[in-house]
Amino acid sequence: MPRIFRHWMLWPALAMLLVFFLMPSVDILRASVMDPELTFRHFERFLERAVYMRVLWHTVEVSFVVAIVCAVIAYPVAYFIVQSPRRVQFLLLLLIFIPLWMSILIRSYAWMVVLGREGVINSLLMGAGLIETPVRMLFTTPAVYVAMIQILLPIQIVTCYSAMSDIDLGLVRAARVLGASPWEATRRVFIPLSLDGTITGMIIVFMLSMGFFITPALLGGRRDLLLANLIEFNVTQLNWGFAAAIALMLLLAAIVGIVVIRLAARLLLRALNGALAR
Amino acid sequence: MKKLTLPYLAGLAAALTLAVAAPAAIAQERTLAVSGSGGIVGEMNTRFFAEPFTAETGIAVERLTSEGSRMAELEAMVNSGRVLWDVMEISASNYPLGVSKGLFEPIDYSKVDPEGLLPPGARAEYGVGAASFSHVLAVRTDQMPEGRMMSSWADFWDVETFPGPRALRNRAEDNLEFALLADGVAEADLYTVLSTEDGLDRAFAKMDEIKPHVTAWWTSGAQSVQLLSDGEVYFGTSYNGRIPPLAQSGLPVEIMWNGGALHTSFVGIPKGTENIEMAHQFIAYRTMNAAQMRQYMAELPYPGFAPGLYDGVAEAVTAIQPTAPANLEAQFSANPEFWGDNLEAIQERWNEWLLE
Repeated sequence: MPRIFRHWMLWPALAMLLVFFLMPSVDILRASVMDPELTFRHFERFLERAVYMRVLWHTVEVSFVVAIVCAVIAYPVAYFIVQSPRRVQFLLLLLIFIPLWMSILIRSYAWMVVLGREGVINSLLMGAGLIETPVRMLFTTPAVYVAMIQILLPIQIVTCYSAMSDIDLGLVRAARVLGASPWEATRRVFIPLSLDGTITGMIIVFMLSMGFFITPALLGGRRDLLLANLIEFNVTQLNWGFAAAIALMLLLAAIVGIVVIRLAARLLLRALNGALAR
Repeated sequence: MKKLTLPYLAGLAAALTLAVAAPAAIAQERTLAVSGSGGIVGEMNTRFFAEPFTAETGIAVERLTSEGSRMAELEAMVNSGRVLWDVMEISASNYPLGVSKGLFEPIDYSKVDPEGLLPPGARAEYGVGAASFSHVLAVRTDQMPEGRMMSSWADFWDVETFPGPRALRNRAEDNLEFALLADGVAEADLYTVLSTEDGLDRAFAKMDEIKPHVTAWWTSGAQSVQLLSDGEVYFGTSYNGRIPPLAQSGLPVEIMWNGGALHTSFVGIPKGTENIEMAHQFIAYRTMNAAQMRQYMAELPYPGFAPGLYDGVAEAVTAIQPTAPANLEAQFSANPEFWGDNLEAIQERWNEWLLE
């Protein structure tokens, strides 16, 4: 960072955070415990009725699975792009960006066309004589996973790519020159250097998943209720207090989830380093 | 998507313009801001009510689109003391909610209906009945077993005679009534039964029977018809106005009026608007003008209660109206007060039940 940087340059960003993030967050906190006097009944209700913890757990579970699968798929893709010539890189990134320009609603509807009873996959399978009655894919939990992964994958790929493109590939070459096998050079040099970006991507995907509600409502089965759906219902019923309490529980779960992802990353890094010491 | 996006963007742009120019708009005094549904409902309202109203009175009508978050927006405006709407559409289920929160101005019936011609159900304290709509079962006639036709909720529950995937709305309202009707409860007793703990258990027990056969639980009207037209389900509930266009598009689909849930939606005045006089004028036009309403309901079967509405209406148009005598007879009147009082608790149980 050049010395020319001054703290006051951060002020616009800080002011924006204060007005558009911190103040509303404090307001949500206030709404959850002041209704109209100080009360914890909204949180008690959340903990007492089985439905809310179940939905919270399902939300966390779906978000973790989506984040992990996205990372596993995105990592080699980003690696492949980084290894490509500059011009090809640009083209590949463009291809990855295209679906991001479509609204989540449209992409969810598109999945209905693909997975439906009379949809593309069932028509193909039935036309080929492989099945006689349509396979049920739409309105199931796997349908939610497939769509959410497809929707969020580009974000993970791009985050991984930007971390990987900062890595000096000369370091990997140096490891090879010093006698490391290709896999060793990757494991000891490239993976540790690219891990941070991958983890950042996972956290972004995880947090976005925690707030999903259109996709599970359109593609999921009756059990695919996520916490955001319950917030929406309570807002339409003008039950701000309970909606705020649910939102805070969601925030809390997201923070715990992020800490868990970070800890897991540190363990992984230690395992890689341990291999180095041996 | 064009249909969906354009009015939405227009509404958004209008809302933004209004937010910026609000003080000026108030000073002008000859513009009325009406908040309501977008899409085809918004289009037809503009064409058959807002535009002729402007031609007659010289009062410009600005239509602002608001959908699911309408009540949340209203409450925020009322609480902040800057009410940007003069008139608003109030759905059946939002009426008791808004009344309990004190978000509407009372209606002065000497200005809307001085002779008392509207039926009592349309003369609510804080809103005038503007449209009837039904939550009904729609069936694919090509998926019926030879020589049979689904004609009651008991049939919908009869998965042996009528096999095939089904869809219901993902809310407790109306569905529990449908379940009780299927279980043999008389229309007149629906809400007395539902008001008891045993009756509620009975409704959920009946829902247990159909649960495995319901493949989709829809959350929006658009989705409910999509399910039928995509062939995802053969029997599914929807709103009556959505079925005729589907049938016109060539899909063999029919409404089962028997046991349908009839609702009334209102137009009312947000608390604290400055244009109460003009708002009453518009509401009177929207609810009492039979000539305009006849044209509206020929396009969109959501009729109101204007006196003499059915006079001289073609048989084909009458047949698809939820308040046509024959259809009225077949349905039950939904009870918004019951749901206003109980929705939160019952919906919580509904969600738990769905997860089981």
